[in-house]
Order: sequence, then C-alpha cells, then structure tokens
Amino acid sequence: MSGTGEFAEFLPAYLAEVDELLASAQKDLLAVEEAVRKGLAQPRAVRELFRALHTLKGLSAMVDVEPVVSLAHWMEASLRLADQAGGRLPESSVEPLVEGLRAIEVRVRQLGAGKVASPAPANLLERLEALGPQVLDAAPKRARPVMLDAEAAFASRLAPSEREQLEGGLSGGQRALRLDFVPSSERAAKGLNINTVRERVAKLADIVKVLPLSGAAAGGASLAFALLLITRAEDAALLEAVGGPPAVVRSLEAPASAEPAAVDVAPGSAVLPASAVPPGAAGLEEELDEPEVRRGGGLLRVEVSRLDEAMEWLAALVVNRSRLTRAVAALTQAGAPTRELTAILQENGRQLRDLRSAILRLRMVRVGDVLERLPLLVRGLRRATGKAVRLELDVGDAELDKAVADRLLPALVHLVRNAVDHALELPEERQAAGKAPEGLVRLTCHARASGQLELTLRDDGRGVDAKAVAKAANAPVPDSVDALLDLLCRPGLSTRQEATRTSGRGMGMDIVRRIVVEQLGGELRMETRKGAGTTFTLSVPLTVTLMDAIVFECAGRRYAVAVGTVEELIDVGSVVRPAGADGLGLVERRGAAVPLVSLARLLDGAASADGDAGRGTKALIVRQRGEPVAFAVDRLLGQQEIVLRPLEDPLVRVPGVAGATDLGDGQPTLVLDLGALGAARAGRRKRAPSRSGEWVS
Amino acid sequence: MNVLHVLFKVDGTEYAMPAADVVQMESFTGATPVPGAPAHVAGLVQVRGRVIPVVDARMRFGLPAGTPSLDSRVVVGQLGERTVGLLVDSAREVLKLDPRTIQPPPPMVVEGAKGFVKAVAQVGQRLVMLIDFPRVVGEETADVDGQR
Repeated sequence: MSGTGEFAEFLPAYLAEVDELLASAQKDLLAVEEAVRKGLAQPRAVRELFRALHTLKGLSAMVDVEPVVSLAHWMEASLRLADQAGGRLPESSVEPLVEGLRAIEVRVRQLGAGKVASPAPANLLERLEALGPQVLDAAPKRARPVMLDAEAAFASRLAPSEREQLEGGLSGGQRALRLDFVPSSERAAKGLNINTVRERVAKLADIVKVLPLSGAAAGGASLAFALLLITRAEDAALLEAVGGPPAVVRSLEAPASAEPAAVDVAPGSAVLPASAVPPGAAGLEEELDEPEVRRGGGLLRVEVSRLDEAMEWLAALVVNRSRLTRAVAALTQAGAPTRELTAILQENGRQLRDLRSAILRLRMVRVGDVLERLPLLVRGLRRATGKAVRLELDVGDAELDKAVADRLLPALVHLVRNAVDHALELPEERQAAGKAPEGLVRLTCHARASGQLELTLRDDGRGVDAKAVAKAANAPVPDSVDALLDLLCRPGLSTRQEATRTSGRGMGMDIVRRIVVEQLGGELRMETRKGAGTTFTLSVPLTVTLMDAIVFECAGRRYAVAVGTVEELIDVGSVVRPAGADGLGLVERRGAAVPLVSLARLLDGAASADGDAGRGTKALIVRQRGEPVAFAVDRLLGQQEIVLRPLEDPLVRVPGVAGATDLGDGQPTLVLDLGALGAARAGRRKRAPSRSGEWVS
Repeated sequence: MNVLHVLFKVDGTEYAMPAADVVQMESFTGATPVPGAPAHVAGLVQVRGRVIPVVDARMRFGLPAGTPSLDSRVVVGQLGERTVGLLVDSAREVLKLDPRTIQPPPPMVVEGAKGFVKAVAQVGQRLVMLIDFPRVVGEETADVDGQR
C-alpha cells in the first residue's frame, strides 16, 4: 500500500489524469445504467467505460496503488466481456460497478489528501469478480444471431470492426440502418450538406460509416451518401434530419433473422429485482470529500475539438482573403485608387499568418510533458521483472502537436516496455557479461529542420537475436538490419512461448510501426549489436492534419479530395458537347446545366489531341468561385481518413494541390483542391477567345 | 583540405556536390507528378516519411529524357530549410576532392551549363563538374501562367 513517499513527484499528474478518467467513467456508467434498465445494449458507453478502467488500472499500477488496481481490474474484466457481447450488461451488474467506481474515487481522494489508500473491501472485490460469469450469461450472442444484409450494407466496403459494430448494435437490440442522403443545391442552400447531415444524424444515432455512392439513387439523382447507422431513433426523425425525401431509410438486417428488435431482453436481467439499482448520480456523491480545487497556474485545459474549430474558421478567413485580394486587384486594374486598400490587405495577410501560427502553437505540447508517464512505467517494470533499470530522458523543450503526441505515446510505451522486458538482461547475466548490473534505457529527442521530430530510444541490453527472430517468424535469417526490423514488425511475432505479465505475448512492434509509419507518416529505424544493445529511431512530423477524403482514380493515378468540398458525386451519363468548346461538356443536374471538366486534361496541362481520352465516367461536383462544376474522373475508390501533408517547397507549392498523403503504398498521393485547381487553370486562360475555352487545358 | 564530394552521372558526364549537402541517396521508383510545377520537377517522392520534390537533372540540363533504371538515384540534398531530391542516372562514388585540382569552368562550359556548373575538378584522367545545387534546384514557383 502506498501512494506516498517515493511516488510523491508523480502524484499530481496521476491525480489529474485519474480525475478525468473517473469523470468520464461515471458519465458512461450512467449511460450504461439507463440502457440496462430499458433492456438495451449501449456498446459505445460500455467500450468507453472499459477503456477508462483499463487506463486507470495501468496508471494506478505505475504509482503502486494496489487497491485501485484490483478494483479496476475486476471491473475491466467484466466490461471486456460485455464489450465482446455487443455492449450488453445484466441489470445486476450495475450496482457493483457503481460501488466499484465509488470505492476507486474514495481512494483517489485519500491519495490526493496525502493519505494512504485504504485496502479494497474484500466483499466488493468478490462481487466484482463474480460479474464476469453474469455478463457471459446475459450475453445475447447465442440467443440472437444476426446477419447483415450484405448488399444494403455494402459488405465488401466494410472493415471487420465496422461490421462488428453494426452486428453488435443489432444483437444489442438497436436497429442497424442505412440512411441515404441525396445532396442538392436546394438542400445546400438550406444548410444541408454531407457535413451538417453528419452532425445532425450523429445526435440521433451512432454513425458507423459514410459511403459516397454514385449511380442511380432515390429521387432520380445520380449521387447519394449512404450513412450506416446504429440507432434507436425512429425513421421519421432520421429522415427529418436529412431533409426528408428523396432520402430513404432501410434496415441492414438480413430478412432471414428479421424480428421485432425492441422486444428482445437479455435473459439474465429479468431475474433480478429492479430495486437493486440505486438512483445513480445521487449515490455517487456520498462519502466523497469536496473535490479539491486545483489551480492550473495559468494553464487551461481545452478540448482539442475547439482548437480544430478555431482552425476551420481561420481557413474560411484565409479563403475569403484571397477573394478580397482578387477583388482589389480587379479594382486596381480598373484604375480605382486602391493604394490604402492594398496596404490594409497586406497587413491583414500578416495578421492572418500570425493568427495561424498562434493557433498551431496552441496545439503544441511539450514532449517532456508527454513522456512524464514513462518513469512511472519503468518503475512498474522494474518491480515486475526484477531487473535493475535506469531511465534517462533527455528531451529538452521540444514541442509536438497534441494529435501527434497522443498517437506517439503508445508507440513509445511499447518500445520502453520491450527494452526492459526483452532487451535488458537480469543483473546477474549483465555482470557475467561484464556490464553494469543496472541496465540503461535512454530516450532523447530533438527537433530537426523541415518539421520533423527525431526520438531515439537506446538500451544497453543483449541486442536483437536475428536467428531467434527468424525462427519465431519461421523465415530465413535476415541479411540486413532493415530486413530484421521488417521481421520484428510482423503482426503477432513473439520470441517467447509464454506471455509475460508486462509485455503480453507479442512484442507489439507491428503496432509501433503502424503508429509511426502509417498513422503519423514518419519513419522507424533500428540499429542493434549483439551484446551491446539496440537503438530505435523514430522520426515523426511535428504536426499532422487529419481529414476525411474521397479517393478516386484519374488517368491511372490516385488522388484524394476533402469530403467536405465535394457537393455531389454523379455518373457521367449523357454529355452535351457544344461545338467549338474544345472538350468542355455540359451535364444536366436537376434541370440545370453544369459544366463538366475532364480532370485528366486539367492535370495534364497540355491540350491533348484525343479529346475523348480520360473523359471519365464519374464526376465530383465542386463549387468553383461559387458555381458548381463537375470534374470527370475515371473511378471512385472510396472514402477514408488521411493524413494531409502540406507541400512546403516552393517548387511544388501550386494552386489546386492541398498537399500529399500516403495511402499505404509508400508513394505520395496528391490531395487536390478541385475548386482552386479549376480556378487556377481558368485564370491561365483569361485571354481565351470564348468563355467555354476556359475549361480547356 | 580535401572536401568529401558525392559523384553522380547524368548523360555520361560526371558531376559532384559536397557530401555535406547530401542527406542521403535513394533508388528511384517513380515520382508523383505535380500539375503546374516547373517542368524540371519530376514530381514528389516519399523519403523516409517525408514528401520532397525531385528535380530531374536531365530536364534541368536540357538533355534528352532518360529512362529510369535500377541505377537511377535520387540524391537528397539539404538547402537550408529545404530538402530537395535530384534525379540522376547513377551515383556510386564518394570522393575527396583536392581544392587545388578545382578550377573555374571554361567559358564554353559556363555558357552551355546555364550557370549550373560552378567549377571543374580533375580526378586523375576524369573531369568532374561541380554543380551549383541551389541553382540547379531553383526556386521557380508554381507555373500559373501556363508556360510549361
């Protein structure tokens, strides 16, 4: 039992973090309780609750608060089962969970007040331990197998986790639906576009996935977005949220197992008296001391989403400024006295740049702060493994975008854990090998030019045994350190037969690589020498911009475009090609003619002789200077979240290209800003003889 | 003092630049073209997690276009804050050049090379052109006027 003395320096950070976790856990538990009373599943709250307790357990283990660890452990165990059972808990489980959370909070408050956490009540632990089997009994999986309607749900485009989420929702008594939203200019005028629709629907349902569709959609339009949902909301409410017909709702449940959804009640829950459930929130306040008011010393915690929002407004401002610049240029050209206007505009530009960097700085966190958990982790590992370890952190005052830091930390935790658990030898072994009995794990970082942060994690352990790794991976012995790293990063690779308490079975290098390379667009390298140690070097960008993008193919290349900028996806059916328009087409969209531009020709830059080449079968409708324009592409490949990397070098900073992204093939894929691209090319043709000529490239 | 240089070949001629300016060398597997970029920019490549522009040395020097081969290399150079690649036919050698063997280029070379060659070094029987990397890379920005 402790929480005092040797951990004193870590305590404030621990308390702050646990406070947040407890607050969110309580909120989720209340949501779970409400769902349980109605006999419904609440997969999201159950999962969040599980995660909160999992983290709480880990943190508490680091500062050695045994009572909280045991309480959180049994709660976590039952919630894991509930999560696997589609988010369904028996009613009888709520009371012990509420008590468990309260018991944790009491002990955390004790620590905060400088006292020692009292032992966990044995009978509460027993009841929490007994929750697991109850959850299993209540699990509806056996009671109600569900099937998705493969066609309606686009089974081929669903990730396994998304499918699971939909099926989980179904088996949990909710409805899995597909809601087709058909954008139109009238709806856009009323503020209904795919983004606002997302927001509105999110209030009524869990959105599992949004798919852009082309081809015949309801209401005669040729484009729609299909939103795959889990919900309890009525069809009417959902339709209302997307502006009514031609939107349609249909069930994703395969007809074979169709049956009234709401009637299904978990078998375990009927047995228990309803009075066993206390009135939630009121009970939680008892026994708790008044929460101590912590002064942040001039620091403020802000939700990241608010910063993102500020960034979005800024982006709108920047767009508006360039319109203003153009308008002023036009005035100047027309001979108007614009000297003062121009001066103001220039100052405005500087101010916008300053504002942008100020907002970006808001998102930066100190690397040192991000890593403050590592000493705790190493403490815990020292105890668990019996190894003598010293952790040296040399991180200076480098800073990192919050979004990057959040993703990076788990990778570093994995690497530190591996270093202690796998790489460092036991003190006796080390002495026999002529090394100091205490192993050294050293983490350094420094910011490099070109917006990258380099982190180096070095241990002085036994080095990676290439032969053992090859054997475990059932592969030939790698001939280079890069090949060895590739082997290490194979999913599920372990050089040990038994799972260890600290690292589990796998080494998690696949996760490290996925985080560093795929999620952050960084780089992972390794150096290792037998008997001397291993060094991992991680290079990650200081900031990342994540966005939802539509990926498509045009003239044999893939491109991405921000979902928010695309108003509609259409099939290019009959195109009118006015004589003399040199490739410009017109498509009809709800009674209005929309210019159709071949993106392939636009990108190619040169007027190609074969006017029909790359004409495209699909088109994305984007507003260009306020007017809808259809950009013809060859093939739509889907929607996904991408990491946008802006192109900084003047050689490639071109209008219409927002940046590049890696879709997983290691080649940069351009992220286009179609409106700006079309406008830039149109500007080039200012002196073209006819208006239609401006689409020719 | 002898200065370490990276040597590479473009259309049979040997060129060099200080190794201190070279971050690394990568084999070339194709670049993603950027519409509207200057003509001598082959496109974008991803080098160790970073996206950098690649300048095609042949295009830049006004030479006939080459076909990328297994020998093709991207010499990744550092130019202050900028990191830019230079696509060359091959790059195999790193040499210490004796400053005493480095001479200003003959007038004819200066004229033909558009200022891209700032000196000529004699290595045994071979002549090696020292390139002016910043000038080769150039700072030409987006080609908005359509003159590609």
